[in-house]
Amino acid sequence: MSVSATGMSAQRTRAELLVENLANSDTTRTPEGGPYRRKDAVFSSADVTSPFGSIFQNELGVGVQVSDIQVDQREPDKRFMPGHPDADAEGYVAIPRMNPAEDMVDLITASRGYQANIAAMTAVKDMITRSIDLLK
Amino acid sequence: MFDPVSAHLEHYMNLLSTRQKLVASNIANLDTPGYRTRDIDFHFEFMSKMDAAENGQIVDPPTILEAGGLLVKNDGNDVSLDQQMRLLSETAIRFNVASTLLKGQMQSLRAAITEGGK
Repeated sequence: MSVSATGMSAQRTRAELLVENLANSDTTRTPEGGPYRRKDAVFSSADVTSPFGSIFQNELGVGVQVSDIQVDQREPDKRFMPGHPDADAEGYVAIPRMNPAEDMVDLITASRGYQANIAAMTAVKDMITRSIDLLK
Repeated sequence: MFDPVSAHLEHYMNLLSTRQKLVASNIANLDTPGYRTRDIDFHFEFMSKMDAAENGQIVDPPTILEAGGLLVKNDGNDVSLDQQMRLLSETAIRFNVASTLLKGQMQSLRAAITEGGK
């Protein structure tokens, strides 16, 4: 079950980043300076550590973790808006290079991944309950 | 265990729970670049270790294999969500059947104990 939990938290992190991207699709000013840059999570496998890990065999399940959050380093788009407060000398405003369709598709994938992890967790939980029922 | 049938059921349920753990970790690693689907050779593990299970010996843990033969995506990951979900429900149903049968075995044992005392 802890393996599924790592999967759920990883997918949630990814979904949060994607929502942040969508919300900031027109942000031209950030604390770091310049327009907002698209973020995405990079996943990697990780062993699940539990307090009893050394006692029970635990090498079976491999969990997942967010190993890195990648920030898009591409040049931002330029849009001609001379009246904009963030416009440069030639009247161009740097706006985030963002494709809403790409983010929406990733968001759906992340949400499906989350659901799949919940289904796995429920199935494992049912098996444990079944085993406990044997004692009754 | 008490009789060969229970011993076989126990062995079967152990393998099912191992497989379910692997399926859960495959699903968790659905988007991990380079991850390969892991599984056990169920039939081989069940048949080859049946005697040990029947004699009440400690059964060696099953060997974990890479499933192979699956479509590898661009990021080197070959987890098929549909296939894993099918395996997840199949394993759950099999476990359900096995646990119901084992419960029946236990109940008949209990009946023998309680009814015998009367």
